[in-house]
Amino acid sequence: MKRLILICVFLFLLFTGFIDAPVQSLKPGSLSLRLRLVFDGKPLNLNNALYTDEHGDTLSIDACRFYLSNIVLTNQTQLIYREPYSYHLVDAEDSVSQVIQLDRVPGGSFSELRFLIGVDSLANVSGAMDGALDPIKGMYWAWNTGYINAKLTGRSPSCNTLHHAFEFHIGGYLPPCQTLRTVVLKIPVIKPNQEQIVSLNVDVGTWFTQVDLHKTNSVLLPCTEAMRLADNYQRMFSVITE
Amino acid sequence: MKKTRLFYRVSGILALLTCILAFAGTDTPVKFNAPRGWPKPRYDFSNNPLTLHGFELGRELFYDPFLSSDSSTSCSSCHLSFTAFTHADHKLSHGIQGLVGTRNSPVLINLAWNTSFMWDGGVNNLEVQAINPLTNPVEMNSKLEDVINKLQRTAKYRKLFYRAFNDSIITSKRLLKALAQFTGNLVSCNSKYDSVMRHERDVHFTAREENGYELFKKNCATCHREPLFTNNKFENIGLPLDSVLRDVGRMKVTNDPADSLTFKVPTLRNVEYSAPYFHDGRVNKLKDVIDHYTTGIVESRTLSKELRRKIILSHDEQKDLLVFLKTLTDKSFLYNVQFRQNRVPD
Ligand code: HEC
Ligand code: HEC
Repeated sequence: MKRLILICVFLFLLFTGFIDAPVQSLKPGSLSLRLRLVFDGKPLNLNNALYTDEHGDTLSIDACRFYLSNIVLTNQTQLIYREPYSYHLVDAEDSVSQVIQLDRVPGGSFSELRFLIGVDSLANVSGAMDGALDPIKGMYWAWNTGYINAKLTGRSPSCNTLHHAFEFHIGGYLPPCQTLRTVVLKIPVIKPNQEQIVSLNVDVGTWFTQVDLHKTNSVLLPCTEAMRLADNYQRMFSVITE
Repeated sequence: MKKTRLFYRVSGILALLTCILAFAGTDTPVKFNAPRGWPKPRYDFSNNPLTLHGFELGRELFYDPFLSSDSSTSCSSCHLSFTAFTHADHKLSHGIQGLVGTRNSPVLINLAWNTSFMWDGGVNNLEVQAINPLTNPVEMNSKLEDVINKLQRTAKYRKLFYRAFNDSIITSKRLLKALAQFTGNLVSCNSKYDSVMRHERDVHFTAREENGYELFKKNCATCHREPLFTNNKFENIGLPLDSVLRDVGRMKVTNDPADSLTFKVPTLRNVEYSAPYFHDGRVNKLKDVIDHYTTGIVESRTLSKELRRKIILSHDEQKDLLVFLKTLTDKSFLYNVQFRQNRVPD
């Protein structure tokens, strides 16, 4: 008897929940992630702009590209949204690549944004890919197959190299040389029907944490140094709250 | 009134049927048949549905020097069908303008079972393997992007890609998938050895072959594991380091000193025709290979455990082993017209 009552209550709740549903607005909408590339807080300009890193080295940046993948929105306990086929190549030279539009995001509140910097290992072993993962994008190593997760190149008088150039091509998906990094960010709770924009600072300066460009200026292979730089750029992202 | 409706209905059905037929016509599915009793192939054709037109496109690309920067070198320049797709008579393969590479071109046999590619295993998937020769400055020296644009400009390839992928837009993904449809289908499974294993009527090993087979199982088969004649692992078989090439093998991709001087165990199918041998083609005759295993092994830190115990074979036993290796020759593979250049009409 008790059980029957419970079932009735349950059905009642379910039913009223059903009727109530439209009020909560579960309309899927879109959410834009806007990336603002900076160096130590200053807007990132390529080629000629000069910056100073933590170590005191003066430097300029020629190119900055990285993969941002596997975007997920949660409300801390629950997965709310997972972007299908989530691979984006962000390029400092291409402003279009700095806005990532997530489609069919359910209305409702969520407070956490997660993504990977780099390309997951499944995509690394899946053969020929297209779109952002097309090997013609120049973010791919063919002889030791795998994606370059992030690239940063530039110049600094501290580099004792041809044209004082430094080159960081960070990749490696196999343990123990894994350079894939996860980023978890708290974002302001977005209410249904609010304009859905999340702006992120991407501070390229973090790459140089405890890096002496005189000693470390060419990282083009997976492993030790690549992992250290990946740990550094994992801290590139912060949420802009205006 | 009724008659016209019937007419419309019939013609509607007919139109639908022709559509279905036309669609099927552009895309003839083919099944990849793994020989009975063999392990499951590693390459997953379900992500690259095999079709006759896809295979033909792959073959056309494989034989077309147009893919190289100066239209001089095709895949087949270094991988010839009559020699099990190795570069016959060349220790080190050369590409455009005769530039010489650093390794011997391996046979292309049963690639669908490989767990990795290249002598050092640096490539993890058959599809992406082809990026290497296409872009290597001493092989075909093209930029992937340029190859795509070049192909896209030809009516011939627009048509061939359309037939294979229902779309004439050429992408690197389609190019690589098509090549893999061809190379992944280079299956050799009809040697005398195979007939004996399948207990085919009237096919038997001779006494010498039988003895050679026993010696093989005892001394060689842990690495050259049947039926593929490779265990897909990397081993140092005690070849001394070449002082010019200084090729450290697998360590190049893993950075692990334990992998120094280890190379991928190659298949031995059709080995009678795939000279020269070893990763740098340093020996020309199968007999010299056997000599290496019996008397030439150089001790080193990473020498395979398997080979620390000396292999002792009498003169006759060495001959028997050689005779057995020749039973791995598969004429139906070497002379398969499907694998040869077959110009598709423009
Ligand atoms: C200039 C000669 C040359 C050309 C041209 C060439 N290859 Fe190769 N191929 C080689 C060499 C040498 C290797 C071994 C490389 C290594 O181990 O580093 C190889 C390796 C391979 C392998 C790996 C086999 C295995 O078992 O690991 C495949 C597959 C292959 N080539 C296919 C192709 C295709 C497809 C093309 C055309 C797009 C091509 N090759 C063009 C010389 C060549
Ligand atoms: C410890 C594993 C191992 C054992 C045991 C072994 N091999 Fe090998 N074999 C290899 C490897 C690895 C290579 C490639 C070496 C290289 O090129 O650096 C190879 C290469 C060869 C080649 C040259 C193939 C080619 O295409 O270049 C032949 C032939 C061969 N082995 C025959 C034999 C015979 C016969 C035996 C038994 C007497 C034997 N192997 C035992 C691992 C082994």
